Amino acid sequence: MTNVLSLLVVIPLAGLIPLFLFRRDERAAKQVAITTTFVELLVSLWMLTKFVPGEAGFQLVERVDWLPSLGIRYLVGVDGISVFLVPMTTLLTFISVLYSSGGAIKTRIVEYMTAFLLLEVGMVGVFVALDLFLFYIFFELMLVPMYLIIGIWGGPRRIYATLKFVIFTLAGSLLMLVGIVAVYLESADASGSRTLSLPELIELRGRFPADFQFWVFLAFALAFAIKLPMVPFHTWLPDAHVEAPTAGSIVLAGVLLKAGGYGFLRFGLPLFPIGVQAWLPVLIVLSVIAILYGAIVSAVQKDLKKLVAYSSVAHMGFVTLGIFVLNLQGGVGAVLQMLNHGFVTGALFLFVGIQYEKTHRRMIADLGGLANMWPLFTTFFGVFVFASLGLPGLNGFVGEFLVLLGTFGFSGAPPLGGLFWGPLAAIGVILAAVYLLWMFQRVMYGPVREAYRALPDLSRLEIACALPLLLLTVILGVVPQPFIAYIQPSLDRVIRLATDPSFVVVAFR
Amino acid sequence: MTSADIAAVYPEIIVTAVALIVLVADAILDRRRAALALPLLVIAGLIVALASVFYQVPATQYFRGFVTIDAFTSFFRGVFIILAIFAAAISPAYLARRGVPAGEYYAIICFSTVGAMTIALSADLITLFIGLETMTIPIYVLAGIQRTDRFANEAAIKYFLLGAFSSALLLYGFVWLYGITKATDFVTIAAFLTQQGIANGPTIVALALVTVGLGFKAAIVPFHQWTPDAYDGAPTPATAFMSVGPKAAAFAAILRVLLVALGPLVVDWSAVLAILAAVTMTGGNIVALAQTNTKRMLAYSSIAHTGYILAAVAAAKAGPSAGAAVLFYVFAYGLMNLGAFACLLYFDLEGTRGASLDELNGFGRRQPLGALAFAIFLISLTGIPPTIGFVAKFLVIQPVLDAGLAWLAVVIALNAVLAAFYYLRVVVRMYMYDVEEKEPRLVSGRTLSVSLGVASFAVIVLGILPNSIYEWALRAAQPLVR
Repeated sequence: MTNVLSLLVVIPLAGLIPLFLFRRDERAAKQVAITTTFVELLVSLWMLTKFVPGEAGFQLVERVDWLPSLGIRYLVGVDGISVFLVPMTTLLTFISVLYSSGGAIKTRIVEYMTAFLLLEVGMVGVFVALDLFLFYIFFELMLVPMYLIIGIWGGPRRIYATLKFVIFTLAGSLLMLVGIVAVYLESADASGSRTLSLPELIELRGRFPADFQFWVFLAFALAFAIKLPMVPFHTWLPDAHVEAPTAGSIVLAGVLLKAGGYGFLRFGLPLFPIGVQAWLPVLIVLSVIAILYGAIVSAVQKDLKKLVAYSSVAHMGFVTLGIFVLNLQGGVGAVLQMLNHGFVTGALFLFVGIQYEKTHRRMIADLGGLANMWPLFTTFFGVFVFASLGLPGLNGFVGEFLVLLGTFGFSGAPPLGGLFWGPLAAIGVILAAVYLLWMFQRVMYGPVREAYRALPDLSRLEIACALPLLLLTVILGVVPQPFIAYIQPSLDRVIRLATDPSFVVVAFR
Repeated sequence: MTSADIAAVYPEIIVTAVALIVLVADAILDRRRAALALPLLVIAGLIVALASVFYQVPATQYFRGFVTIDAFTSFFRGVFIILAIFAAAISPAYLARRGVPAGEYYAIICFSTVGAMTIALSADLITLFIGLETMTIPIYVLAGIQRTDRFANEAAIKYFLLGAFSSALLLYGFVWLYGITKATDFVTIAAFLTQQGIANGPTIVALALVTVGLGFKAAIVPFHQWTPDAYDGAPTPATAFMSVGPKAAAFAAILRVLLVALGPLVVDWSAVLAILAAVTMTGGNIVALAQTNTKRMLAYSSIAHTGYILAAVAAAKAGPSAGAAVLFYVFAYGLMNLGAFACLLYFDLEGTRGASLDELNGFGRRQPLGALAFAIFLISLTGIPPTIGFVAKFLVIQPVLDAGLAWLAVVIALNAVLAAFYYLRVVVRMYMYDVEEKEPRLVSGRTLSVSLGVASFAVIVLGILPNSIYEWALRAAQPLVR
């Protein structure tokens, strides 16, 4: 069976039917959502087994003429860049749904699960769509459910946060829509037939003139930069994260932000090599600023959740830096960093949520001494904190190390070459250790507070949610090589497409 | 007048007959039975008329060149009839509640629809003007049909005065055109203007008068002032119809006059229309942002949508894709805007007008399916996929860019963000605010719920599979291109 990717798009939709039928029964709704997302996870793992590593092109491709009069297709496929992002999405969604069904969400369970399943359609779709029209639809499909998740089940300032999130994201994506239409019009051949299919667009990208690439890449880059988010478009992120329910934060940080980085790799770099070159200095400066600024701002946060949110800004700075140094190490590092950030930051938000559920406090000053009461919690949380700050042996190190390696090898003009940016970015790694360890120390150590003495350690459900993430954190840290073997060939091709405008891939599909 | 002529206008004859039958039935049937029978009669009759639209007659001119039947005509006939059916289906409960004379109400909708259909089949300035007046005059009556409501009276008189004024301007423009070209049929006018070449003084005057006249009818900024008051004052189901039927008809007229008759002057009017489009969408959206009454907000947002459609008209030199974008947008707009206004019918409570934002609080709990439909219409109006509103935006941006109006495409995108702000504010109220104590019970009619269900389903399905409608629109746009 080759239509496993369509299956992945359809399963969450199919889950909506029993959810609707059992809309009066909250227990049943939870079970339906857990089952659906679990089946989805299994199918995505099955997809992973069908993927043949070592090939650069797209696999498991499906193609259906969708809007024939416009030349728009339903075209899906995965390559080394997206093949792990899909199971990451399904895993994080499953964990989110599992955790939410444990009592973290108390009102309107059915609507909540509906929103999550719809969100999963969008998230999986974004990583498998190979037609720009289709990609845009999935990209936007993520927006409305997340808007509702933050706005209905969020914290006190949820409405401000959710509107800010939507307006920021829409502003970027609507400009990208203009860019997509521009690409569509520019793709016309002599007979006037047009396309938005990525493989075909890559073949004919030589036709895109330089000033066209300059502006259209800007339109795409704005959308991705807001989603990612890059400084200075990041201001929606802390608000959204602080107000979102725990599961919403996990998915927002774990998956939605990746859509931005993935968009750069999938569409920005291959389609507009000249545009990329033109904007490269700006993008690299912004990435390094994000790394340093994110770290410094994290350090001064009083709110635990906000601290993790700002640390996302810094981590995603490594992703964009790895992408825009335009070499293999940087690129592979960026993809690994996306995966690592998904697992680790997802887990950090999970633990901040668990902690909040127990203590009802999120201000770092109100916490302390938790380690004495909660050995299990401390162990798990500690591992994720160390992974986040890039301790060798855990996954965070691999991604950041490769990005730094790529940055040192960046062939920019001498004053602003790799030897300038590399050390700056490395400072970011040190700063990460400072703010994360300081936070860990203030929250976990110190005298036990009387108010928290009777609170229980991790429950079985919470362990079940955290364990897969812990295993992946260790495995990715100890044996990254098999993962890199999947990613490398596709990434190599993307880098060549981005650095050589005349490079034409034949039979990329 | 031959039998071929008669066969060409079967749909118009059927709709007129429906209107007359309704008036007679209203007189014969007693009150109780009429409340149920009249809407069924209208809907059944209009469905027959819709079927007759697909009765193919040779695409040529009839009635000695006063009428033309082509794919464009069929498209608009179909759209007008579908909108009339929708409008009739949402109304019964409201009419009964407010004591509005039902027979007259449905007859007015049918008569107005006949007028709109006449615009679509016109091949001549005279036919077009007759159609325009046949469409508008019933709407003046419709706006004031609640005779005891002073807001309705204000709406009717405002609408009438400005409508009459704009008709006069338009007619004056037509006279100038006749004076210049010695003809009233589109083909001859176009041929004369082509021969004349560059526009001279009188042609510019005629063009300006016609543009302003049509601008009033379509509610283009700065000729839009009548819209919010007329929409706000009219009974809500009538507003729903007024905001889409006459608007679609106005664009049918704009396409026929500007693209066909004045097509040779495209260089002169397209730049002006592009600026008007930008002003219209921005003005409509900015004022809509400040509204706290949902009905007025939707009224201003409909002005903004006029701007988007006008942008596609301004991009006429991009070829058939521009015309097709206009047609598709008009269809999509009709469906979602009529639906959005109809959702306000749930709030038709004693002593309220429209729905203030506060009344919407907790709508998602009080009427889950109604709120879901409203949310779908609003998301579609915002232009977020997978809805028909998104496809419409995509299709509009395409000819705009193709015609070299990149700035206008960016203005459209930024405006969509502005619009998202106030559309989503309604969704926030519906789903994210808790219900206050002792909320008044919501009104709901069965036909209202069914038609909203069908329409919101169509908004999603046609958003995912828009191909058939787009191809229809593309075929219908062919006669506009020469």
